[in-house]
Amino acid sequence: MSAGHKSVAGVVFNIQKYSVHDGPGIRTLVFLKGCTLACRWCSNPESISPKPVLAYNPAKCIGVGECGRCLEACTYGAITQDGEGRIAINRELCADCMYCVKACPAVALTVYGQTMSVEEVLGAVEADAVFYSRSGGGMTLSGGEPLYQHEFAVALLAEARRRRVSTAMETAGNVPFERLEAACTHLDVLLYDVKSLDPAKHKAGTGAANALPLENLRRVRKAFPGLTIMARTPVIPGFNDTEADIRAIADFVQELPGVSHELLPYHRLAKPKYGYIGREFPMGEAALEDGLMARLEAAAALVRG
Amino acid sequence: MKCCEELSPQEVRIEEQNRGVENRHRQGRERVFTILESVQHLKPMIDIERARYFTESFRTTEGQPLILRWAKALKHTAEHITVYIDDHQLLVGRAGCQGRYGILFPELDGDFLDLAIEQLPQRVESPFDIDPADAETVIRDIAPYWKGKAFHEDLAAQLPPDTLKLTYDPADTLISRFVVNETASFRTSLQWVLDYEKVLKRGFKGLKEETQEKMAALDPLSPTDNVVRKPFLEAVITVCEAIVLWARRHAALAAEKAAAEKDPARKKELAEIAEICAWVPENPARTYHEAVQAQWFTQMFSRLEQKTGTIISNGRMDQYLYPFYQKDKAEGRLSDERAMELLECMWVAMAQFIDLYISPTGGAFNEGYAHWEAVTVGGQTRQGLDATNELTYLFLRSKREFPLNYPDLAARIHSRSPERYLCEVAETIKDGSGFPKLLNDEEIVPLHLSKGATFEEIYDYAASGCAEIRMPNRDTYTSCCAYINFAAAVEMVLLNGRMRRYGDEVLGLQTGDPRGFGSWEQFFGAYLAQQTNFIKHAFIQQHIIINTRPRHFASPLGSVLHDLCMKNCKDLHSPVIEGGIDLGYFEFIGYGTVVDSLSAIKKLVFEEKRLTMAELLEALERNFEGREAVRQMLIHSPCYGNNDPYADSIAKAVDRAAGEYTKTYSRELGVHLDLRYVPFTSHVPFGRVVSATPNGRKAWTPLADGSSASHGADVNGPTAVLLSNFASKNYDYRNRAARLLNIKLTPRCLAGEEGTRKLVGFIRTFCDLKLWHIQFNIIRRETLLAAQKDPEKYRGLLVRVAGYSAYFVDLSPDLQDDIIRRTEHETL
Repeated sequence: MSAGHKSVAGVVFNIQKYSVHDGPGIRTLVFLKGCTLACRWCSNPESISPKPVLAYNPAKCIGVGECGRCLEACTYGAITQDGEGRIAINRELCADCMYCVKACPAVALTVYGQTMSVEEVLGAVEADAVFYSRSGGGMTLSGGEPLYQHEFAVALLAEARRRRVSTAMETAGNVPFERLEAACTHLDVLLYDVKSLDPAKHKAGTGAANALPLENLRRVRKAFPGLTIMARTPVIPGFNDTEADIRAIADFVQELPGVSHELLPYHRLAKPKYGYIGREFPMGEAALEDGLMARLEAAAALVRG
Repeated sequence: MKCCEELSPQEVRIEEQNRGVENRHRQGRERVFTILESVQHLKPMIDIERARYFTESFRTTEGQPLILRWAKALKHTAEHITVYIDDHQLLVGRAGCQGRYGILFPELDGDFLDLAIEQLPQRVESPFDIDPADAETVIRDIAPYWKGKAFHEDLAAQLPPDTLKLTYDPADTLISRFVVNETASFRTSLQWVLDYEKVLKRGFKGLKEETQEKMAALDPLSPTDNVVRKPFLEAVITVCEAIVLWARRHAALAAEKAAAEKDPARKKELAEIAEICAWVPENPARTYHEAVQAQWFTQMFSRLEQKTGTIISNGRMDQYLYPFYQKDKAEGRLSDERAMELLECMWVAMAQFIDLYISPTGGAFNEGYAHWEAVTVGGQTRQGLDATNELTYLFLRSKREFPLNYPDLAARIHSRSPERYLCEVAETIKDGSGFPKLLNDEEIVPLHLSKGATFEEIYDYAASGCAEIRMPNRDTYTSCCAYINFAAAVEMVLLNGRMRRYGDEVLGLQTGDPRGFGSWEQFFGAYLAQQTNFIKHAFIQQHIIINTRPRHFASPLGSVLHDLCMKNCKDLHSPVIEGGIDLGYFEFIGYGTVVDSLSAIKKLVFEEKRLTMAELLEALERNFEGREAVRQMLIHSPCYGNNDPYADSIAKAVDRAAGEYTKTYSRELGVHLDLRYVPFTSHVPFGRVVSATPNGRKAWTPLADGSSASHGADVNGPTAVLLSNFASKNYDYRNRAARLLNIKLTPRCLAGEEGTRKLVGFIRTFCDLKLWHIQFNIIRRETLLAAQKDPEKYRGLLVRVAGYSAYFVDLSPDLQDDIIRRTEHETL
């Protein structure tokens, strides 16, 4: 990697400290914008567009009666009063100038996504370095699909390595193998989504075929025999929540030497974020039925022996 | 991730209790559970015997040296106070009646005790009962004797006018201003730790004999020996006799009860109690049971002696009990279950004592009448080796399996603390009841070396009270110290020396109309001037307090257990004891409130100019009524607790200026009056006198506590809270004492073995950062409900779901419900 990589910049929509569930130890999650899939259940809908997105949280808005500063700030007529003393955003008219965000005193209007340099991101990551050295933690790249901004992602991983910060990355693997390969060169832990082995279901649920992600996982395993790889399956109601689905995935993972496998139960925590960015929540009231996770865990455990 | 792991064991217990499921730890613990259940819901009674006998004796000893009067009063009390043997108990010794009880200290409250007792039935906050005949005795016989003699009256009369008006309402000195608050008149002494090991190893007989030898060696021609040393030694002998006499009365009663007891098992226990009480604390303990009983007698007798602020702590129990435990185990006399049972007998006895504050100020400082008999475990030996032993693990286990709120448990952590120890500490924390708190050797040891302690002394420190520490034979400072409301200093800058609560009266410095301030530097300079002025008045108070206390208080029991008191023949409450280290403090209350207020003003008024000073003052005056937009801007300015250098650098400058004053002036007092951040509950009454502040805090609401962030202002997670704490400390100054730090986590953050290990990593980093203290709150469902009702106070509350975490208050109401519901769901 050239010395110039520190000046590489990308769009980051969140840096989450004290993350204890995405890789070993106490970690900092860096969420990169942009994705190559469009999963119906996406828990970070604000990540999918590669560009910054305006978000509005009505629960934080103090109302037009007390404030109304955004109405004045918007010169495109995209913000109007709603019937309840708060505001409505017409995203057709919005020019993404973000003046309303600057005007909002209550941080009800925010932007998902800001351009940051490698230096800036690593600065934020290294602020917690004293916690990594004691817990075995470090930086985890997430998204979106972190390899959507592959040059930025690789630059972040390379720089983290150089600073002796342990590296992990979450990916769905739906990218050209070369990108994955470039990232893995600088990785300690790879967290790899395996969503479904059924091509039709995969296509319907994520908008893409599963051949590339599955093949990429096989190739990565072979190319990087020393890399810690953890396969993860989000269990989604109506998508892959049968024992047959889970067994098939577990079978696939089982074939790959040294790859562990974890099931992550579906949750609806993303629902308000859909509202903030003006989207409908596609999953509605769907939920995992009681006791299902335990049955699926048992099914997967049987496969693993 | 297993669903049930979302709950802390405590939450599981609460839920099980609600369903009527018997606590699985009750089995084998029937004795302590039975005792607990028999007293738990009783309304506390005031027992007046201690006050009566103490006063009776004082009437007859007028004119004699105070320490001798005190010892005689204790002996008189020991002779006459009712002694009790409680059903089921294995330990004996109470300072008052059976059930939950509090006792009176008329030497503290005598000037208004009659009034307080008369008003007691009307007091809403204190659910105390007193027998009408006892109330009559207090009003007619006890209180009148102390009129004109109470410490508080003496102190108030001596305070210079400028100090007085920041301390009390000059028109009624019983009313605190909660600005520069003295705490010496509602308690006799600072929190303290007795050298219990001395009692266990030598017994009071040994201590008495040593004193008699000293007495024999006095120079009969020396005036000092006659006037100072002789009465001191006489008092020491008297108090040694008093406690032994008290113990023997228990032995006699136990023998009597044993003779009458029908149940053979209980008969045997009573006979054993009789035998033990006939032997300890007079003689050195021979068994673990004797050691525990001797410690308990000493502890309870020290309560009869004086009202120690937040109580006498238990010291390093896993160290001084260990030889007895080891010996009894080796000789087959003791099982781990029995060892824990004896400790738990002590805990349930402790829980029956209520630390009654008659003074309304005292009550406000200690809401709920909490007391902290801190038990210290772990840490290092006097030689600097790791001190963890099998008994250490039993204390932690007892806390998990019998999680009473007493005693307070403090775990010492150092850089080489074994992994098993930290894991068990983490598991105990995960239980969710908030224990143990952690104290960091890596901060405390070097800091006290710089203050003059030897390695051996400071390696052997014990937790004392909330977050403080003691070296029981080296510390010699017992004067209670000032709690200073620095949020009031911010208000005084804004109102030119006034506070809205106190109208037009000028209380502080007149630093000018802030609307005329041209720069942030000018504003900050005015704040620092107010801050320094407060500290100055605290030091003036302290100067008077130090020199006034010895005329009012003595501690013969505390003195006999202190090497330096015995060496110098000086009472523990003397202003100077040669060879001692005087570790005092002044309390910084409202740190987060102050820093966030200053930060908001710097950013919005002086740098970004989004607000004028006039607009700010107007919004504050209206308590943000109709000025919510201004308030939101203030709230969202850089706040302390987020590892944000903008706020943290202000925090550091504030800390440094406070340290600078004490660096210069504490030597005049001969005391390390160091900067401390430990609020008790004082941030609540202090908040009640401070109007709206520029951090968006509304008028009369609580201030930030300890060195924690303002309520809900820490939105970057727990690592940022620790890093802000680190970044705001001035490590090149030794003029600092404890900093109390609260961290809230959800059980899910700590789920499973992986969660335990990550918490251990977090604790080790706390140790690396040389922070003094930390304690954890593992958030309960009730908290989530509360957070839903009052989201602003819970802005920093993280909830964890598989794969990603979110701030609870950022979630929509229906999803919050979803999480709450799922929590309920998962407990089944």
